[in-house]
Amino acid sequence: MRYVLQRLLGMLTVMFTVVTIVFIIVRVAPGDPAAVMLGPDATPADVEALRVRLGLDQPLPIQYVYFLAQLARGDLGHSIFLDMPVASALLDRAEPTFFLTLFAILIASAIALPVGIMSAYRRGGLFDQSVTTLTMLAASIPSFWLGLILIQVFAVRLGWFPVAGYGGPDASFLARMGHLVLPATALGVVSSALITRFTRASMLDVLNDDYVRTARSKGMGEFRVVMKHAFKNALIPVLTVVGLTAALLVSGAVVTETVFSLPGVGNLVVSAVLRRDYPVIQGALLVIAAIYVLINFGIDMLYLMIDPRVRY
Amino acid sequence: MLRKLIIAGLAGASMLATTQAFAQERGGVVNVATIGELTTLDPMTATGDLLGMVTQHFFETLYTFDKNWNVAPLLAEGLPEVSADGKVHTIKLRQGIVFHDGTAMTSEDVVASLKRWLEVASRGKLVAANLDKLEAVDDYTVRITLKQPFAPLTALLAFNNSAAVVLPSEKIGETLSEYVGTGPYMIKERKPDQYLQLVRFDGYKSREGEPDGFGGARKQYLDEIRFVPVPDANTRVEGAIAGQYDYADLLPVEAFDRLNGQAKTEPLVLKSFGWPMFIMNNKEGMMTKPGLRKAVQAALNSEDMLAAAFGKPDFFAVDGALYPEGYQWRSDAGIEPYNQGNPDKAKELAAEAGYDGKPIRILTSRQYEFHYKMAQVAAEYLKAAGLAVQLDVVDWATLVQRRAEPALWDIFITHSPFLPDPALIAPLPSSYPGWWASEAKDKLVVALNTEMDPEKRVAIWSDIQKLIYDEAPFYKVGNFNALSAKSPKLGGFTPSAWPYFWNAYLTK
Amino acid sequence: MAASSAGVDTPRISTLILQRRTLAIGLAVIATITLLAMLAPLIAPYAPNKLSIVNRLKPPSATWFFGTDEFGRDVFSRTIYAGQLSLMVGAAATALAGVVGITLGIVAGFFRKADGVVSRIIDAMMAFPDILLAIALVAALGPSLATVIIALGIVYAPRLARIVRASTLVIRELPYVEAARALGVPTWRIMTRHVLRNLVSPILVQATFIFAYAMLAEAGLSFLGVGVSPEIPTWGTMIASGRQYVGQADWVTIFPGLAIILTVLSLQLVGDGLRDLLDPRLRKDL
Repeated sequence: MRYVLQRLLGMLTVMFTVVTIVFIIVRVAPGDPAAVMLGPDATPADVEALRVRLGLDQPLPIQYVYFLAQLARGDLGHSIFLDMPVASALLDRAEPTFFLTLFAILIASAIALPVGIMSAYRRGGLFDQSVTTLTMLAASIPSFWLGLILIQVFAVRLGWFPVAGYGGPDASFLARMGHLVLPATALGVVSSALITRFTRASMLDVLNDDYVRTARSKGMGEFRVVMKHAFKNALIPVLTVVGLTAALLVSGAVVTETVFSLPGVGNLVVSAVLRRDYPVIQGALLVIAAIYVLINFGIDMLYLMIDPRVRY
Repeated sequence: MLRKLIIAGLAGASMLATTQAFAQERGGVVNVATIGELTTLDPMTATGDLLGMVTQHFFETLYTFDKNWNVAPLLAEGLPEVSADGKVHTIKLRQGIVFHDGTAMTSEDVVASLKRWLEVASRGKLVAANLDKLEAVDDYTVRITLKQPFAPLTALLAFNNSAAVVLPSEKIGETLSEYVGTGPYMIKERKPDQYLQLVRFDGYKSREGEPDGFGGARKQYLDEIRFVPVPDANTRVEGAIAGQYDYADLLPVEAFDRLNGQAKTEPLVLKSFGWPMFIMNNKEGMMTKPGLRKAVQAALNSEDMLAAAFGKPDFFAVDGALYPEGYQWRSDAGIEPYNQGNPDKAKELAAEAGYDGKPIRILTSRQYEFHYKMAQVAAEYLKAAGLAVQLDVVDWATLVQRRAEPALWDIFITHSPFLPDPALIAPLPSSYPGWWASEAKDKLVVALNTEMDPEKRVAIWSDIQKLIYDEAPFYKVGNFNALSAKSPKLGGFTPSAWPYFWNAYLTK
Repeated sequence: MAASSAGVDTPRISTLILQRRTLAIGLAVIATITLLAMLAPLIAPYAPNKLSIVNRLKPPSATWFFGTDEFGRDVFSRTIYAGQLSLMVGAAATALAGVVGITLGIVAGFFRKADGVVSRIIDAMMAFPDILLAIALVAALGPSLATVIIALGIVYAPRLARIVRASTLVIRELPYVEAARALGVPTWRIMTRHVLRNLVSPILVQATFIFAYAMLAEAGLSFLGVGVSPEIPTWGTMIASGRQYVGQADWVTIFPGLAIILTVLSLQLVGDGLRDLLDPRLRKDL
């Protein structure tokens, strides 16, 4: 219990630091945020009024307190371009990003886990060598480039999947998911590399452990030794990487969503940059970093459940 | 009056055939891929072809254009009755017109709408300067009294760009919070960056008779029209080929061969669609120096810009005149400085103008891919003339916001269709970003606007064209044809610079 | 990795050799790519920005090895020239990440008081997805070649800082470092003498990977149009403009893409090879 509290406190400090960093990034931006928000038609009086309303006329430390207070109320600001609260804009775009990330992680795991285990088991063999090279190759491919090629082959030439978008107003859930097959594949293949390598490394660690050797000496079948004893123990570090990859995937999703014109959070951020819509960039940054911190915390808690020995 | 736009290519021909071969069926949904998202759906305050194309489905004006680009009545009963001195225009309104919210349209709404238009719309302001009185005579009659005769009045009232749309008086505010109009379709749902969903407006009262361009009857065959913003041109092409979009707007010309012979889509070529232009900042920064504007004019090579932007020679014409062959406004006056591509002369002119080596900031957008390509070619030619260049690439909506700010740019790129009246040409008034102010121009424009004799107006226009080349407030790049794609199932559709989907229907 | 055990371990030496071979291959490839990029003015058959509108979108041939792009520019020449900038951005970002990351890492590892704050900052920075943070930084600083380098440098600094901090924590407890401290050797000398020297291998390995990631990230930013200005040829901007023509002229996109893949792959091979070569745990087993 003390450990949980400790971790919770750690998470909160990191979260606090994240907020501070975002505050600094946004304040670094050149130009007057009030003028930016009101657009070019605004009169100087309007700008001054908004500056006062936003507290921009206050010294930085007070602005910082305002910023924190605003966040505490759950207010992420207001989008200039979309003319709606940033929180609802993000919520509107959450679905494609969530499922894209989920499918990509499933695809990546489906490739990485068996390959990683096999590779560790046959360490140094031809299979292992090819896997090592292939994972490096996969990690070297820009996901947007792979996406462009997948669109050409599977959507345009073969016509198996939609080219772009996320379906119209009445697209069923299934139809929407159909739009995610190609992007999730592009993203999943590229991110499978990291999970494969980590699975392999973790498996190597445990395959050398005493209890695995004991199990083996007791005449247990190889498959059972590998799966039951070794893999079970390698699972924790692998889960960590799967979890962290999920968070890293958001990065890949930013690019992939743009290639496939998916109306997700990543696409929103990229448009926001082109539209100079700073509140949206700020809000997205905060929310995504917060999710990452939460996932991290979740993984720590998972450790605790799977392996109670993990206690400081 | 004006030669109608010529529809070229296989597509046009086969389309005419389909119109006759298939019966018009009611029902169906069309997906229209547009070049991007819009900041606002208010067609008065903002301009732009995309905005006009989308909003004309739910907002209507008193007048519009028929297929021969003559002004035709839409919400007005007929053309205005004009007093002998050309100053008093009396407009009778149609009766029984209802807005999407169910309220009836009366002269009160029209007067309130026109008042707003005169105040906030860039084209409305042109009229406002000349306005004496705007009043409702009775419930269905409106009277506009001018200080002087103003030839382009009805054309301005008819235009869907900076449009004099009629809104319910009670919904009128500084910014529109609801988009309620009288059009054949109304907004059901808008998801930014995803779609704008329009559904048939059952209370619509169409004009009698047959469709005639934007005028005449407006049929409501389709149940729904969905405008899907697809900023990436390649995605619009692939989506059309895959059958995802029934109509895909403004495609890269290179895609023509790929679109040809497809099952689910076909290319559509609109000849003499319009003209791209480089607008120079006449108000602030280095381009206020006439010598530097002339240097840019001398440096640019239109042929290369057009070829890079539009690929096949059938898709563009190297033409310095502001109206192409076939328009009564056509004139070759003063076009010698066009298409020089002369870096040495440009260098000299720049040096004379005291060019200090600061980069020329070219504001452009990739949403119109051809703008961006012309910008890149222009940058190379300007560099060859010793001028530094900085490309500021933003999305179109942002460009429209930023170009209003004189401190932010030196040149921006836009394009325009060939407009029925030169008075409609955007960069002529000094209020348009670019802010071309010149005594010689003001004199000629006043003459153009007050002269009622069509032939004399043509002569005045040709003087204005000459002045444009002398003062170089902007640079016309050339003429281009536009490529779009439509589903073979989409019938009753007329290609246009501002495609509209009333009158269109889907066949099985 | 624990001590030796039968069966699984027999191929270890061969693996080591193989990994040295991959190191050799990786180094050879990256050296070749760098050389090609540096010698671009001598090798490239055309000037990278030379427009030739009549020769637009020509397929690869003896005249244009990689074909031409939508402006008739030679894709081969542009790919080589773009290499200069892409490699430069990657290297400069890595160098910046190195300076910032190493400083932060040593400070955190060596000075207990500073550790709390610095570690929190490192943790928080790592919470932002790399591309997203880079996008935000570039948006805040205004897009240019320099800001892309600064942004990527800031994005990758925490990764290096974290590793340096961990190693420093170990090193400062080493007997001879403690002895030096007890003898009153100034802190900065302990740092340069003992700490930095011991950090060389982990930093080198990590820097190689950061170089690879930074190049991928630059390509991504440029592709999205929020990075390097589109008229500057980098592999990312080349793919971004070739995107319009994937359907009819895929060579405009494919070649710069392959250049990225080859470069990043060779960097990863080098990083992997270096790690195995320099990893003391493996060295001990030799």
